[in-house]
Amino acid sequence: MSGHLQKLRFRRGAEATRVVTVPPMDGALKPNQYLDDAQVVARQERPDNLARDGDRLLFSSGPILYALKMGAAAESATEVARFDSEIAALASDGAGGYAIGLDNGEIRFGAALSGVRSIKPDAPLAPTALAFGAPGRLYVCSGSVTNRPSDWKRDLVERNASGSVWSFDLSSGRGACLAEGLAFPYGIAPTEDGEALLVAESWRHRLVLIGARSSPKTGGRETVLDDLPGYPARIAAAPDGYWLAIFAPRGQLIEFVLRESEYRRRMMETIAPEFWMVPALSSGRSFLEPLQLGAIRTMGALKAWAPTRSYGLLVHLDDRFRPTGSAHSRANGSRHGITSCLQWGDRVLAASKGGNLVLSLGVDQFLGD
Amino acid sequence: MAPLLQLKGITKEYRGNAAVKNIDFDLVEGEIHAILGENGAGKSTLTKIMAGVVEPTSGTMFLAGAPVRFASPAQAMARGVAMVFQETSLVPTMSVAQNLYLGEEKLFNRLRGVNIAAQQFLQSLNFPVDPTRDVASLGAAQRQMVEIARSVRAKARIIIFDEPTASLTPEEKGHFFALVRRLVARGVTIIFISHALEEALDISDRITILRDGERVATDRVSAFDRDKIIRAMVGRTLSQEVYADGRARKARPRGDRVLSVQNLSMGGMVKNTSFSVYAGQVTGLFGLIGSRRTETAKIIAGVLKRKSRNGGEIRLDGRSVRYRAPRQAVRDGVVYVTEDRKIEGFFETMSITENLQVNLAAAGLNSSQIVNMTELRDLSRYWVETLNIRAIDGDSRVIELSGGNQQKLVIARSLLQKPRLIIFDEPTKGVDVGAIAEIHQLVGRLADAGMSIIVISSYLPEVLGISDRVLVYRQGRVVEEFSPKEATTEKIMYAAVH
Repeated sequence: MSGHLQKLRFRRGAEATRVVTVPPMDGALKPNQYLDDAQVVARQERPDNLARDGDRLLFSSGPILYALKMGAAAESATEVARFDSEIAALASDGAGGYAIGLDNGEIRFGAALSGVRSIKPDAPLAPTALAFGAPGRLYVCSGSVTNRPSDWKRDLVERNASGSVWSFDLSSGRGACLAEGLAFPYGIAPTEDGEALLVAESWRHRLVLIGARSSPKTGGRETVLDDLPGYPARIAAAPDGYWLAIFAPRGQLIEFVLRESEYRRRMMETIAPEFWMVPALSSGRSFLEPLQLGAIRTMGALKAWAPTRSYGLLVHLDDRFRPTGSAHSRANGSRHGITSCLQWGDRVLAASKGGNLVLSLGVDQFLGD
Repeated sequence: MAPLLQLKGITKEYRGNAAVKNIDFDLVEGEIHAILGENGAGKSTLTKIMAGVVEPTSGTMFLAGAPVRFASPAQAMARGVAMVFQETSLVPTMSVAQNLYLGEEKLFNRLRGVNIAAQQFLQSLNFPVDPTRDVASLGAAQRQMVEIARSVRAKARIIIFDEPTASLTPEEKGHFFALVRRLVARGVTIIFISHALEEALDISDRITILRDGERVATDRVSAFDRDKIIRAMVGRTLSQEVYADGRARKARPRGDRVLSVQNLSMGGMVKNTSFSVYAGQVTGLFGLIGSRRTETAKIIAGVLKRKSRNGGEIRLDGRSVRYRAPRQAVRDGVVYVTEDRKIEGFFETMSITENLQVNLAAAGLNSSQIVNMTELRDLSRYWVETLNIRAIDGDSRVIELSGGNQQKLVIARSLLQKPRLIIFDEPTKGVDVGAIAEIHQLVGRLADAGMSIIVISSYLPEVLGISDRVLVYRQGRVVEEFSPKEATTEKIMYAAVH
């Protein structure tokens, strides 16, 4: 077929004619095995949502909130609260205040870990990340208007961009939408001056800055880091910048599937979500999964560089939001699906939701070359 | 033993400027004699006089004791003196066999007969070259084999090699040295010009060193070591300056990502490769010859056009770009400094000034329709001084410059286009140690000024010495990245080979 005919055939949309590519992991994102070598802090099923409570580490596992005294045995985490829905987001203000977002859309906050008050927003929310701002101010990322946070795969496959960022006044319980039309905002952190919010927009593989007092009408959205090689999740403040958890890698095949609407429709109709051709928090656990076996295993050896649906990646950003260092768990590793991170003294903690571990790494590992 | 070839008081002047001055030289039969010197030292001029390419202004040459004066390379060849040039003198559109028998054609030629004769001849030399292939489709090593075969066929008693190993892989170099020894065993005497000092120390019997057109030393190879050679060549100790230890130097901090090459593919050459280049850093691209680094660089710079749908993507400052011609890339601040300077680097019969003017026009930097020669001469003078190009003036024709100075001109042509990303492809190939140090310092200065630099090199000490990060290329893709701290010769070579 001639080039002209091809152009006519693919003129349905700009995206259809664009070549399928993914950015390289090099420079500050150069692969290593720091996550595979990292110290284990806690072992728990699908840990997520790291937060600090004095000398205790808080993290969630499904509907249960656990606490672990730092330095204690990895299996000694104690249950401190249990909810009727999966915990989707957690924040601590460092002064005894907590906020908990549940998978059913409810947001609770208060001085007790079970949360004493609930926010009742005007619109349904799917809380994916929470952050405290100025005293009495809570910022909320809502991933989607149609899907729960736990149903993130469907939201990706449906190619939704219905996420929003909200600012709640905790004294009145009233909220204001700061930005909407976001493609699954999954991480949030106020900037040092508190004037803006750094938001991870997962399905667009980028970080955006949103004014702390902006509105959907006034806009005020600036892309500060684009073209990430994975799907960004939670953001945590670091003394000299930010930590960014990347929960899954991008791949050419997945990018291709995501632009084939008919394929995606039939995939959703006929295949169980855990076997969809989409990113995953962990992989290699069933022979029914796509992109396994021959793709990553040759002559019995796992290929570290193989294309994979799951990956472990934690990135340090400087104060200009540029990556300066990273820790990886590659295709031959198992500490995948890093969804949450937290600075703790001279160490950084990372929740490997796919690897069922909370990990601890020395900050000096990220200082780069 | 009486010398086979003897030069007495040879001087060659270009417009009153002496390229070689009062040189005495003798070549003993059956020896391998290395001639070393900086670019512009007069090595090429001296050997060209021996091979009849240029005639000396004064002095006498004796061949087997009898005075000779060659008016052309054909005359020299007829007396058994052949020269294998740095850039081969083969006709690219003709087959290997046709090149071997060029000039000996009869009125009616049977191509099959020529091919068979060529095949037998190449086999007798143990050269794995198909005589029916066009020379254009051969690699550098195979072209050189054809060139050597041509000299041997002409029953040359003296073969002069000008930088024979510059474009060979380490393995091919091994084959080449074995061939040279076989030639010597057949009674051929070899003159060997090289900038790779280890090679000269390894293979030659005697070494002559030239500096500024004069002979400064001739002795048996056992009387020299690397430092002594360099000291004689440049008049100072340079070995540490030339190839600095990268690990001893702190890598420059990574700036913004300027270039992102994503899943770049082109035919069977470039295979789904991805890498990034950052501002303010020198990114070294190491790979064996044939690992398709040059093709990748040419796609980035628009010299080769990639396919739009399955050729991957190149992002410059986050913006997807696809250049159909180098001009578009130049206007975006992306320039490519070619490895093949004689073919792609300049117009050799034009002057330095005219060459610079062409690049100025290509970059769209001289919007005026009228060329201001005074301004151009000032510009030319500026670049000649800035890059220390040794030429009489800006009106000197490029063909009159030595290899290192020609390379500096190629760099000057690129720099005046005000690039942001500059790709140096083998920047010190065929360049002497003095000029290597200058070029390396220049590359460092450009990176310090915030420019993004890619240096493609097949020479490990160079990559290790100047890179802030090293990418290793193998079979059309980047396979490994090293920081200067972790990069070692062994690790890089392992990644490049396995």
